Amino acid sequence: MQDEESLVRRAKQRDQAAFAQLYEEYFDKIYRYVALRIGDRMEAEDITQQVFLNAIQAISSFKWRGIPFSAWLFRIAHNRVVDYLRRKAKAATAPLDESLVASDDDPQLIAGQRLDIERLLSAARKLTPAQQEVISLRFAGELSIAQVAKIMGKSEGAVKALQHSAIVALRKALSVV
Amino acid sequence: MKKNSEFENILDECLERLAKGEGVEQCLQSYPEQAAQLEPLLRTAQVVRKASAILPRSEFKARARYEFRSAIQTATKRRLPLFGLRPRRVMAVMIVSILLLAGGGTAAAASNSMPDSPLYPVKLATEQVQLTLTPSDMGKARLCAMLADRRVAEIIYMASKGNAQQVDVVAQRLDKRLALLARLVSVEKLEVPAVESVPGAPTEELAPPAPSEKARGRGGAVVEGNDRAKLRMTVAHYAANHPAALRAGLRGAPESAKPALRRAIDVSETGYERALAALD
Repeated sequence: MQDEESLVRRAKQRDQAAFAQLYEEYFDKIYRYVALRIGDRMEAEDITQQVFLNAIQAISSFKWRGIPFSAWLFRIAHNRVVDYLRRKAKAATAPLDESLVASDDDPQLIAGQRLDIERLLSAARKLTPAQQEVISLRFAGELSIAQVAKIMGKSEGAVKALQHSAIVALRKALSVV
Repeated sequence: MKKNSEFENILDECLERLAKGEGVEQCLQSYPEQAAQLEPLLRTAQVVRKASAILPRSEFKARARYEFRSAIQTATKRRLPLFGLRPRRVMAVMIVSILLLAGGGTAAAASNSMPDSPLYPVKLATEQVQLTLTPSDMGKARLCAMLADRRVAEIIYMASKGNAQQVDVVAQRLDKRLALLARLVSVEKLEVPAVESVPGAPTEELAPPAPSEKARGRGGAVVEGNDRAKLRMTVAHYAANHPAALRAGLRGAPESAKPALRRAIDVSETGYERALAALD
């Protein structure tokens, strides 16, 4: 990808190609992050779309002040997820969506991947919200510790500690090794 | 404490290396003293990374991309505020204008398309844009009711074609719209705590919810009450007619589509019950 800073600058000037490039770069990552956090495919799709529509609306207010664009975008996604989870907590609990796997894959692959995702979602429920956030941002969003720290408003050391405790808890829940 | 933080640094470094394609063994060789503690965590991380590779559906990606590009085009066509409206309103006005002016264009053609049409993703995308850009919760709820009406027509159409799979898919969309409607109008929603503020993020979307109509004073409360009553009438009308229309659809539907259509009837009954309860 072209230098992100220059892409964002162009996007701020309403350059459609720059917007599109940023979108392609982050779409899958944002979707994965949201899907892992909420475990519901249709809601994840809606939220992902809203994140990018919000980004178009707000891009002019984005400033490079030590906050990378990715952190800014994920922060929007984070807020959307938090908002959704709060609303959901007040409503009746819906069953977990089992169709997070893309439907155009090989059926055998789908079955295996679905099992993996279900196990992960079920294990992730045993984590604290902060641990869930770190795991989703690090593994689904593919962000660095520094970026996660910016999004969560914590120090890098605190995020590393959360990451450690989350993986320990996941190991126990997933019974790996 | 220091030992912990050292281990956390090593763990993080190894996670970065795994993400770049190195194997667990290579990391363990770099830290033989911590290998016993590191190995199970790195193996767990590998499992988590593999399971996290969730891909969006290609149909959704295509629809989302279309919607995003439409929104960019709309946003870039006008850079200055329109008649002093806030950007979000401007975008909504533009999109509505585009829909109105489109005439024989893609968006207008798509608005009547059915799920088996190539233009159907455009229809869904347009709806999603409308929903996202509708400023008030009550407005969004009204739109949800209108979209539920469309979904029912689509279910009946797909059932008549014998396409049970599409009946189920559209019924899921119907359920989602009715669930959103119920959430938007539920009294509880007004008590949802504020979302954390985001540096540089869209304040309008992410700011705490506006004060409830109750708190806005008498005039606001009356307007809200009227809107709510009107919406309730619409929803009650649909609650009576949609399940009945779907049941009528059973008569003309091929046998293969009937089980899916019955599921859709259940979805509509439950969904409307929930929506009406939220409105009461």
